[in-house]
Amino acid sequence: MTTKTSLLKVILLGDGGVGKSSLMNRYVTNKFDAHLFHTIGVEFLNKDLEVDGHQVTLQIWDTAGQERFRSLRTPFYRGSDCCLLTFSVDDNQSFLNLGNWKKEFIYYADVKEPEKFPFVVLGNKLDVAERQVSTEEARQWCQENGDYNYYETSAKDATNVAVAFEEAVRRVLSMEERTDHLIPTDTVKLHRKPRSAGTCCS
Amino acid sequence: MVHVYNCHPFSSQQIVQVEQEPGLVCCGGGALFVVAKGGCKVDVYNLEKEGCPLICRFATMGAVRSFHHSKIGDYLVTIEEKNSATYLRAYTNWRYQAEEKSRVGVRLLGHLLRGASMWGGVQMEIIEIPLSDRPVAVACCAVTGDLLVGCENSLILFTLRTQMQQNLHPSQQTLSSSLPKTQQNSGQSQTSNQNLFVLDFERSVILHLPKITPKQVALCAGFVAVQAELEVLVLKLEETSDAETLEEPSNISADFPEDQVDFLLIPGHQELLGDRAKDCDICVSIEKTGLEDRRHYSLSYALFRRFSPEYFQGCSVEETQLHSLQLYPMFSSNQSVSVDEPACVFCFFSLPTAGYLYSMKGGVELLSAYLYPEKVLGAVLTDHLLHVITKSALQCFTVRCAAVAARLEDPYIDTTMKACPPCSLEVCALRMQLFIGLQSLCIYGHHVVLHSTADSETPEQTGRSTPRKGRELKEHNRLAGIFLAVGIDPATSPALENLLSRPFLRKWTISSPKESSPSGHGWNLYVIDAVSPLALYQEMDEYSQSYAETNPQSHSLRHLLSEAHLLLRVAMLQMSTRQRAAEDEHSASVQTGAREGLANMEMERSELEEAFRLNCVQLGDCFSRASQKDCHLALPYYRMSGLSVTDVLARNRTLPSSPRAYGQGFLFYLKHFLLEETEHSLTQEAADEVINIINQSEPSMLVEVCCSPAMTNISPDRTLRILRHLEDTAGVSVPVTIAMATMMLRLGDLPQFKQLMERHAEMQLVYGFIEEPRLLLRGAGGSQRASVHPTALTRQMVTSHSGLLIAGMVALYENNKVQLEQADDVFKELGCQSSLQVDFWEAMLMASSCDAVIEELLFRLASVYIDRLTNSDTGSSPEHKPLKSAEDLINWSTHYGALHPWLTVLNPAHMTSSQHQVALHKLQALLCGSSFSVDSVAPLLERLSDETLWGLSLHLLCDTRRGQYGRSMEKLLDKCPQAIIAYANHQLQDKNMALWWEKLLPELCNRTRASPDNTILLAALKETLVVVAMEMSPAEFLELIPDDGTASYFLPHLLTCSQRHLLA
Ligand SMILES: Nc1nc2c(ncn2[C@@H]2O[C@H](COP(=O)(O)OP(=O)(O)OP(=O)(O)O)[C@@H](O)[C@H]2O)c(=O)[nH]1
Ligand SMILES: [Mg+2]
Repeated sequence: MTTKTSLLKVILLGDGGVGKSSLMNRYVTNKFDAHLFHTIGVEFLNKDLEVDGHQVTLQIWDTAGQERFRSLRTPFYRGSDCCLLTFSVDDNQSFLNLGNWKKEFIYYADVKEPEKFPFVVLGNKLDVAERQVSTEEARQWCQENGDYNYYETSAKDATNVAVAFEEAVRRVLSMEERTDHLIPTDTVKLHRKPRSAGTCCS
Repeated sequence: MVHVYNCHPFSSQQIVQVEQEPGLVCCGGGALFVVAKGGCKVDVYNLEKEGCPLICRFATMGAVRSFHHSKIGDYLVTIEEKNSATYLRAYTNWRYQAEEKSRVGVRLLGHLLRGASMWGGVQMEIIEIPLSDRPVAVACCAVTGDLLVGCENSLILFTLRTQMQQNLHPSQQTLSSSLPKTQQNSGQSQTSNQNLFVLDFERSVILHLPKITPKQVALCAGFVAVQAELEVLVLKLEETSDAETLEEPSNISADFPEDQVDFLLIPGHQELLGDRAKDCDICVSIEKTGLEDRRHYSLSYALFRRFSPEYFQGCSVEETQLHSLQLYPMFSSNQSVSVDEPACVFCFFSLPTAGYLYSMKGGVELLSAYLYPEKVLGAVLTDHLLHVITKSALQCFTVRCAAVAARLEDPYIDTTMKACPPCSLEVCALRMQLFIGLQSLCIYGHHVVLHSTADSETPEQTGRSTPRKGRELKEHNRLAGIFLAVGIDPATSPALENLLSRPFLRKWTISSPKESSPSGHGWNLYVIDAVSPLALYQEMDEYSQSYAETNPQSHSLRHLLSEAHLLLRVAMLQMSTRQRAAEDEHSASVQTGAREGLANMEMERSELEEAFRLNCVQLGDCFSRASQKDCHLALPYYRMSGLSVTDVLARNRTLPSSPRAYGQGFLFYLKHFLLEETEHSLTQEAADEVINIINQSEPSMLVEVCCSPAMTNISPDRTLRILRHLEDTAGVSVPVTIAMATMMLRLGDLPQFKQLMERHAEMQLVYGFIEEPRLLLRGAGGSQRASVHPTALTRQMVTSHSGLLIAGMVALYENNKVQLEQADDVFKELGCQSSLQVDFWEAMLMASSCDAVIEELLFRLASVYIDRLTNSDTGSSPEHKPLKSAEDLINWSTHYGALHPWLTVLNPAHMTSSQHQVALHKLQALLCGSSFSVDSVAPLLERLSDETLWGLSLHLLCDTRRGQYGRSMEKLLDKCPQAIIAYANHQLQDKNMALWWEKLLPELCNRTRASPDNTILLAALKETLVVVAMEMSPAEFLELIPDDGTASYFLPHLLTCSQRHLLA
């Protein structure tokens, strides 16, 4: 029996208040807080899950969306396996800023081949009645920017939250299959097996 | 020879319930940190609780390659890898990660601009420390919590910063980490402090070492150690206020002459201690990086050691690699851990075949070299033991850290007051514990954590279900092998055979129920509890009993007791550290628990002190029986034991069957005790026993011993007999005679006493006192401040031999056996301050040549004489006749001058008492002498009236000495004109000649004019004119004649003057 668990770093980016922290809370602890403080700096959480038979540890990085915290968050973009670009469907400005977030990420994460990097776009606060961004608009942006998957979520009533994170995992795994630079977090094995050169653990 | 003692350093073992195979293990702050193989998760177990329950588990950001816990700041620093990049991170507040699902804050080093993590209460926080080079090794300073990172060719020092922040949510749990300079508890105790300390690091210094590739680093109290494959370099980094040190980088260039280059290519074995280490070919340059940091650093070399690969046999060249680098601090018992630098710092490193322990403070020196019987994989130094693991065993060696600490702490060690086994005492190995497939070890407090995997290359060891019998046999063989390896054949020693045959796991309890079934997987994590130093001491003590019975003289017994002694010293050091910590806690919170804890510690401490005393007794016994060169150590050990001399006597009493068997050490102790000035006097019984012992072993010391204040109760007739016998065998000697006289005195036989004293001439007796001052004075010859008292003999001599007493005292003073103040005390005690003491001073004046003393004595004597003259000297016994008359003094002492002739005119033939007269003559003689400084006694002389002639004489002497001739002459003319010519003849000579005509002549003219019938004045005038006429030219003489003078009166003088002038 050989199970390989990978550590995947997934980072949530988007304007302050779009619901990044709420999405992470909903996904990991299945809770929602209507009065959340703005995030300061960077925080992360680990969550173990199985996707398509792969045991993975998802390391979800929540960042501060407010501009004043820029210098605190950008150093930690490096090493991300997937980026969740988040906006709020009731806030058009947050949607318009998606491009800037993408640029900031690619610059600071020092992504080698930006066109191949797995981004997933989340339109949050689906439950709110007054929408400012239509599904079509969002889809079109995703299409034009690199054929990103797009999910409309609600951290408040848990719509699409798990699906979105699992999709992120899937996107990474499909990438990994080609490059294979996974880090096994724990290997329960009794026999030494030759491993590919790309694996950095002994 | 390496001693191997059959002591059990470990008491129990448990197995930590880890789910996955451990990859890396480290411990600190009461916790055990385990990273699963290749994992990104740290499991933290509580080492201080039974069964080592899980405290928390937290995720790391990458795969941990190496990690380290810092006691100060309670942080965990890691070197991690993700996607082939290497990161350095510090995990703080990890204790709050009990719930795995809580968020973890991440920030960059230095980005501490807010109470970010405070919003949600205390949160685990990761500090990312960016580095331009790849980190290879990390280390934390146990004293400051600073962080040292070893990169490819550089070392980077980060200072720990703590910032206090208000906790916005006081209801939340608070940070419990220990913090530098505030509290030093391990991370366990919860403080109810609402202020929070947030940790950060500041990059302060980079050391560039282009010629060394660090494998391990260590940091402790300013010492920076770096270990490469076969080299160790220790530097001392010091903060200075001096900005200069940085401008000129301490770059020691490695410019070697060309012809040496070849030599350097194949580095040989090298050991450079202290400053000499700068001669090593590794240059270091310092780069300051702290931005706000205004401090400067200076760098010095402390130690360099290089091994050549072929230096060690039994290990392949590839295997010959250094490991287990450690810098280890030790605090002395009187210093506070939180404020001070550690008293000692030790540096340890190890090759597979040998370990090296250096002491870094107070002169760098190699303390011990440990030669291992088997290839060692890892080693950890603690206060009292060095723990090493081989593939299959855990073994302990003793260390000498406590011996170093004791010496740095107590300057009296290695004196006759205190002793401690030497730092160079050979180390020994304790009983080993066998394991299978050991991988690594780490230690927290008394918990030794071992990681083993059976998945090793030795298949025969994988079967863990080997029957016990077989296992014991194997242990037996292995231990026997070790004995052989260190040069002992167990077969030759019944004690060792016995040791080997004993069941091995005595005292060994296995508390984990899981032990029986660990074979499910091939690996295990053991927590082995080490016994306390005190317990180990007790076992050694027990062990020593059998030695003491069979072979009390053996070197092994002494070694074992010395080992035990050092264990107790460690226990006491640890005790005071704990006590201070507890006191801090106690003062912080008035908890009953803390108070109880202190009370318990007090009990433990007294138990320790008792054990220490017992050990000192045993060491004392050991050395007292010894006749080797170390026998003098009996003295300090017995002293530290607190035993009375009587107890020591009893312990060293020989059996009647072996009469002359007192050990050299015991005799040394005894002599020292007797020669020292103790208030403690022995009972007659004990004193008589001592005299017997001395008579038997060193009769030449009998007189000295008889004089000891401890011997006051000695029985005189027994002693007389012994002294007589001594005289019969060794011949007559003055000190023996005096000692016998003293005994006679004690017997009350005065005639016999006198007879004995008359056997020798006075001068010989004086030499006798110089030879043995204590015949005369108790305490003489000791320290300058010691109190000195007269003996019974001295008291007797006051009445019967006062001259001899004074001569003896002066002789003792001149031979530095007694100080002036001490002598004063003696005379005071004898009640003869104003009689014999004055005689003593006068005698001293005749003998002494020290200016300061002479001045002091002159003053004292002048005061005494003045007192006597004014009769305020009531204490003087009228019947005491001074030993020296004024004439004696004038004749024998240069300080007393001959009395001026004019004084005879003033001195009355008879005074009220002869005492008076003697005092006057002595004082006048002093004033006539040249040594005496008049100014010093001038205030005293004021008290004397000049109404009496003798009083006047003293004032005149003073004035004259001061050069006030005019005033003196006026006084004389007023009060005693008949003395004026005698005075003028004596005093107005040479350069004072002019006073004849300048002062005396006009004065006399005036006075005769006023009272023309005064024959005394007229006679004086006449005499004066004779002198003046002799000295002057006729013209000058004419000038001097008063206008109203009668020409006929002056004419004859003018005539003599002219005639004399014409002749000339
Ligand atoms: N109605 C609704 N409100 C939401 C939803 N998600 C988040 N919110 C609310 O939006 C506010 C901001 O949410 P956060 O999760 O703090 O936003 P954020 O993106 O983390 O903001 P920053 O930390 O400043 O970057 C909070 O008051 C949430 O309760 C949602 O799906 N529906
Ligand atoms: Mg947030």
